[in-house]
Amino acid sequence: MSLTTVDLSLGYDDQNVIEGLNLTFSKGQMVSILGPNGCGKSTLLKAMARLQKPSAGQVVLDGVDINTRDTRALAREMAILPQAPLAPEGISVADLVKRGRTPWRGFLSPWRDEDSKACHDALAAVQMQDLAERPINELSGGQRQRAWIALVLAQNAPLLLLDEPTTFLDLVHQIEVLSLLRKRNKETGLTVISVLHDLNLAARYSDQLVLLGHKRLVAAGPPNQVLTAANLLDAFGLKARVDPDPVTNTPMVIPL
Amino acid sequence: MRGPVFMICLLCGTVVASLIFGQSSLSIATLWEGMTTGTGPGALMVNTIRGPRVVTAFGAGAVLGLSGALFQALFRNPLAAPDIMGFTSGAGLAIIIAVAFGINAPMPLVAAIGGLVAAGCVALITHQKGHAPAPLTLILVGLGVGFFSSALSTFLLTLLAHNEAAEAQRWLTGSLAARDWSHATQVWIIGGVLTAVSFGQMRNLAALELGPDLAAGLGLRVGAARWLLSGTAVLLAATGVAVAGPVPFVALMAGPMGIRMTGAQSLTGKMLSGAGAGALVLMLADLAARAALPGVQLPAGVMTGILGAPYLLWRLSREMKRGEL
Repeated sequence: MSLTTVDLSLGYDDQNVIEGLNLTFSKGQMVSILGPNGCGKSTLLKAMARLQKPSAGQVVLDGVDINTRDTRALAREMAILPQAPLAPEGISVADLVKRGRTPWRGFLSPWRDEDSKACHDALAAVQMQDLAERPINELSGGQRQRAWIALVLAQNAPLLLLDEPTTFLDLVHQIEVLSLLRKRNKETGLTVISVLHDLNLAARYSDQLVLLGHKRLVAAGPPNQVLTAANLLDAFGLKARVDPDPVTNTPMVIPL
Repeated sequence: MRGPVFMICLLCGTVVASLIFGQSSLSIATLWEGMTTGTGPGALMVNTIRGPRVVTAFGAGAVLGLSGALFQALFRNPLAAPDIMGFTSGAGLAIIIAVAFGINAPMPLVAAIGGLVAAGCVALITHQKGHAPAPLTLILVGLGVGFFSSALSTFLLTLLAHNEAAEAQRWLTGSLAARDWSHATQVWIIGGVLTAVSFGQMRNLAALELGPDLAAGLGLRVGAARWLLSGTAVLLAATGVAVAGPVPFVALMAGPMGIRMTGAQSLTGKMLSGAGAGALVLMLADLAARAALPGVQLPAGVMTGILGAPYLLWRLSREMKRGEL
């Protein structure tokens, strides 16, 4: 699998937020998209998930423009979790996760063993088997986010796109979410592309980083090549020193 | 004390009470005798006077309730209901137009066209290029379309002869007076088919309930799925209007009320609860309207209005507190 953007321009109302972007995401990697507010990170993720039509250029999955593909077939190859989704009132975790099976189920076709298995696996991956019958609004923020991740894992697509999956979570739960994604990535080869805010966590948990600036790409590549003082100044206008993280040896940003 | 059994018991009890009570009350024995032997005053009540009316109210309430529950789930807003968004008023207007100009067409068809035109107007006015309008925008624009339809209906009454106008005015409030078995079979058959059609779309609704982005990510063609569900729900409401008039607030109240009564968690369960509660509200409203004041038969819509308007106010204040308005 590979996902590429070809001369991709994105925008609203004739105003482009991204212009002529060429990126390649390869299989089995964990990639984080970083950049200042309003630089079009979420817009880029939406375009890669066919939720927003490009104003120019293409998003190509395995050689085919995603906007020409059948949306249901595509849903078996990529799953997306939007930012801060809203749960229907009173829905249980199990019922929510079941809805992840939508692209695999035909009209009126019954629930199959493989559907149960996928849901069970997804709940196990986020360690929520014990909470399956609980209504989702009764859960803590971290548990709720794990339930949503279980939904997209149950979708069983080899590519997972996440829009700010750690926003609104405290540090412990941010690490919990990123660790479980990393584990899934290592165990099943799931490709994970997420929009993140925390530079240091992104560096720890990513194979590749994409750093966006105003209307353009600043840098893309392994964390130690992307998170440099010069790139941070360019993308964020941030004066910072970058030292190796004493625990993981990944780059650590220290604002000056 | 909640669950599907509780709801079914209440429905059965209401049907029996609706057959017994009215301007003149029967004893249960007389009712039983009439139903088993087919003779006596009980039989007259069941077969001719109250029977068809109660069965019609049951069916009309159920389709209105289901329509409301569908819209509320689809737009993820408890205020989204066909009576608030003007679709029932649109259906009512179409019927008044047909009567006023002597157009001879089947009432359910006329009501369906009216409901769909009203929905089309709301969609057109709220249309924005590129993204779907916010539910609240739909509700407010729908409210306007509804008021306009009602005003036009009232205006058209002036074209009718005096006694016809009084009858039509009554019907516009929402009334089940003088319903016969043809009304009952009509609402049950058309309503049954539309209910099946809507249940065929439950998986789409389950995905749409998670929001448009997630639904699209799950492989739904969001626009098409929304239109199909909205269309089915509008037709359900119009089916109710065709036999009971644009009775207010039943569709609005039924969904949340039904869920409270059955405690349903599954989407199908919630929809059935909405239908059950709608039937319950309309039958009780009709019963109260004809039995409350001796010698006076009010339209059922007066009762649902008395019940529904405070509910709407309570709902509005709750939504405001939750910051949704």
